[in-house]
Amino acid sequence: MTDAAPSAAPPPAVAQPLDVAAPCEIAIGVLTYENAATVPAVVEVVRAGLERHFPGVAAALINADAGSSDATPDLLARSGLPLVRGTHETPPGQRAAVPFHGVPGRGAALRLVFDVASRLGARGLVLLEADVPSVTDEWLERLLRPVLEEKADLVLPAYARHRYDGTLTNLLLAPLVRALFGRRLHQPVPGAAALSARLLDRLATDARWPASGRHATDLWIAGTTIAGGFAVWETWLGRRRVESRTRTTDLPTVVAEVLGGLFEVMDRYGDLWLEVGDSEPVPATGAPAVPAIEPVPLDVERMIGAFRRGVRDLGAIWEHVLAPETYGDVLALDTPSTARFDFPDELWVRAVYDFALGHHYRVVYREHLLRSFVPLYLGRTAAFVLATRHRDAAATDAALDGAGAAFERQKPYLLDRWR
Amino acid sequence: MSRLPTPRDWYKDAVFYEIHVKAFMDGNGDGIGDFTGLTGRLDYLQELGVDCLWLLPMYGSPLRDDGYDIADFHAIHPSYGTVEDFQTFLDAAHARGLRVIADLVVNHTSDQHPWFQASRGEPDGPYRDFYVWSPTDERYRDARVIFVDTEKSNWTWDPVRKAYYWHRFFSHQPDLNYDNPRVREAMLDVMRFWLDRGLDGFRCDAVPYLVEREGTSCENLPETHAILKEFRAVIEGEYGGDRLLLAEANQWPEDVRAYFGDGDEFQMAFHFPLMPRLYLALRLEERLPIVDIFTHTPTIPPACQWGLFLRNHDELTLEMVTNEERAFMYYAYAHDPEMKLNLGIRRRLAPLLDNDRRRIELLNCLLLTLPGSPIIYYGDEIGMGDNVYLGDRNGVRTPMQWSGEANAGFSPAEEGRLYLPVITDPVFGYQAVNVAAQTRTPTSLLNTMRRLIAARRSSAVFGRGGIEFLRPRNPRILAFLRQHGRETLLIVANLSSAPQPVELDLGRFAGTRPVEMLGGTVFPRIPPTPYFLSLGPHGFYWFRLERPTDGDESYGIEDALV
Repeated sequence: MTDAAPSAAPPPAVAQPLDVAAPCEIAIGVLTYENAATVPAVVEVVRAGLERHFPGVAAALINADAGSSDATPDLLARSGLPLVRGTHETPPGQRAAVPFHGVPGRGAALRLVFDVASRLGARGLVLLEADVPSVTDEWLERLLRPVLEEKADLVLPAYARHRYDGTLTNLLLAPLVRALFGRRLHQPVPGAAALSARLLDRLATDARWPASGRHATDLWIAGTTIAGGFAVWETWLGRRRVESRTRTTDLPTVVAEVLGGLFEVMDRYGDLWLEVGDSEPVPATGAPAVPAIEPVPLDVERMIGAFRRGVRDLGAIWEHVLAPETYGDVLALDTPSTARFDFPDELWVRAVYDFALGHHYRVVYREHLLRSFVPLYLGRTAAFVLATRHRDAAATDAALDGAGAAFERQKPYLLDRWR
Repeated sequence: MSRLPTPRDWYKDAVFYEIHVKAFMDGNGDGIGDFTGLTGRLDYLQELGVDCLWLLPMYGSPLRDDGYDIADFHAIHPSYGTVEDFQTFLDAAHARGLRVIADLVVNHTSDQHPWFQASRGEPDGPYRDFYVWSPTDERYRDARVIFVDTEKSNWTWDPVRKAYYWHRFFSHQPDLNYDNPRVREAMLDVMRFWLDRGLDGFRCDAVPYLVEREGTSCENLPETHAILKEFRAVIEGEYGGDRLLLAEANQWPEDVRAYFGDGDEFQMAFHFPLMPRLYLALRLEERLPIVDIFTHTPTIPPACQWGLFLRNHDELTLEMVTNEERAFMYYAYAHDPEMKLNLGIRRRLAPLLDNDRRRIELLNCLLLTLPGSPIIYYGDEIGMGDNVYLGDRNGVRTPMQWSGEANAGFSPAEEGRLYLPVITDPVFGYQAVNVAAQTRTPTSLLNTMRRLIAARRSSAVFGRGGIEFLRPRNPRILAFLRQHGRETLLIVANLSSAPQPVELDLGRFAGTRPVEMLGGTVFPRIPPTPYFLSLGPHGFYWFRLERPTDGDESYGIEDALV
């Protein structure tokens, strides 16, 4: 229990009184949207996890549903746990754009869940993804334990993955977050997470929640947590398998959403990153998983083809966004030999920073800017695969670490141009 | 020494640019271009998009044949700078990703070369057999005279040694005696001197003539090939496989084929017969001359490449055409007798084509899309003119036209000090045709060339793919497929000065989507029936044929991006 007395008054978005769930020590937050196919498995894991790892501890489910039509909330209710349901704003644009990446109105949903957990006086909140049926009861324990028994305020997952899973995270998100916020995180946009009561109190009352939600909210949470001096931890989980009807795998859409969220946070919350210097690793629990390296069917040639089409078709945008020397270097990458295609760390970092600056200064329409980044990302991904595919997992990790270091090293380039 | 990270066969994808150091940029104000000036213009070349610079002879020379008469293989001609200036230039080029090859005359030297002076003056000295000496001028009678306008014989009497010496070119250019192993080693030492400095290779001048044998034409002899293979093996052994040897062998393709060996002689050789046939096809407005010459072009080893060109520093040579074709070419392209030289036409690209922008672009289109590595002659990318009244081939070697300022921005020297006058006529004069003006004009020939080169660089097919000519019923349309790996390009060109329709049999590509490579326009999908296109006068299309599934296939990473 937190020292502060819980407030029994529900937030406006919650129709029922909170008494049904109070008092509670552990809150389990589940954001849902059309997840009837997978939510029963998640509920079962919650029930089993609490019983096995936290027997006798008062717990409650908090569900923020974005307007499912497939009985998802009812299936959650069958868990037998005290349940608080809330509704939140789902911007029409996001709902109309389904499938897209995540729950519509994710930012508002998170805020609702944090608010309720805080009002319930929970010592810790664990967020689980409703469309990840590979979740196990150990995940619940590994995420929550550092919050309840250690000094962790925010516990983020690190998943066991193939080395070419999560290329957007590994090649862009993680190294950029490392340079911006000064923490080396494997999964800065996590989906699942655990938060301490004091962090919940801090975030729930923060007036600066990002307006757009989606990835910007997750990144803002990470940045605010780090900047506020809260303790960020990682915990190693197993493989994450998503089953969703509402997430898109449309690559340009995902890239634009993730990059847009990142740039939005940079744009609006300069105080979170402008003064940050060197990075440091975060405390981790569990045994680190070595990335799997068995061959997978990647079409590198097609990625390079997409990069070349970008060179051919997007020059008019890139000319505005990239610094002249960066643009020249990018054009020079366009060698005919696929096997020798390379996209060096330093150039990649400059391209990303130029796009961040271009977004900041609105040099072109932002949606065009974000989508025009896709061929660069594919080129970088192709080069990364070519450089590592005949090497072992340690070498792959070293390559990623080197890229992260390059983002840090070149941060002054970004700072010098950012006003 | 600077070196670029190098795929061994980089030349297959490269666009070459031929430069005369004296003509490009004057860095010290003496009226003659030099390496300092050239270094200062590397950014221009980088922006043009070329990959490799080919330097015409830069060595110590009395310049009686514009540097092809070398008197000191180990020095830079003082007018062009020093070896240190060359090194600075080479390093700066490499820093920009540009490679550099240099002309090297292996067949002969200047008569001023110390080897020749020693050979003629000391008949018993160490250089006595460095050249081909004879007491009579009756040997090797079956060898033709190449410079028919100036030379009557391949033998010239030397009053010092009191013997005849052999020369296939000018009489002041005695041929080296390659039967002498010391000559071969001496020439290898010359190559080592420049390769040690990082040079990316040589364009070897006049290679068919190294060895003489009685009763033969003294051209393309097996003994010559053996020597050239020896050169290649030594260079490959000592420097790795990425140094280029490019052969100048003005021969028919089946004879040039031998210069590739089994991939163990030259990596590249010029395709001489193609060039006049491009002009022929353009003037006849029919594709036959081009298709025909490729039909008669033999297959070359996989690592080898043809060098294609529209114009170069010499006359537009008509040695490799029939007498009828030559007569037609003279009629079509050399109405003034001053324009003829030897068996050729001494004119630049733009004047040859009456400064017709469409035809200039069309020939450049073919240069950049036919199988081989294109070589652009300096100034042709802006449509520079010539001056046939300057004598010999000087008319196509005038100063590069950089701007409308004095001396075309080439040199701050007084006008009279320039090595050759700049072009000043009303059509091609530097005030009308220059880099500065064309850089500012988006639709200029220069900017069009940049776009064409960039498009070529976007696909490995151009440098590495095979060719298949289509046979549409309209003979004025040249259409061909280039294929490499999974990529297929379709090139369609109208050789006529009038608009033309064409129906192409592309049934095997039914469902494919042609994407125009220069503008990115997506054309209607190819049906099983003939594909209809219309082309404007001298118009052309470069299409990438994208399969229906090209836009729908997976990269393999989408399932777990974040």
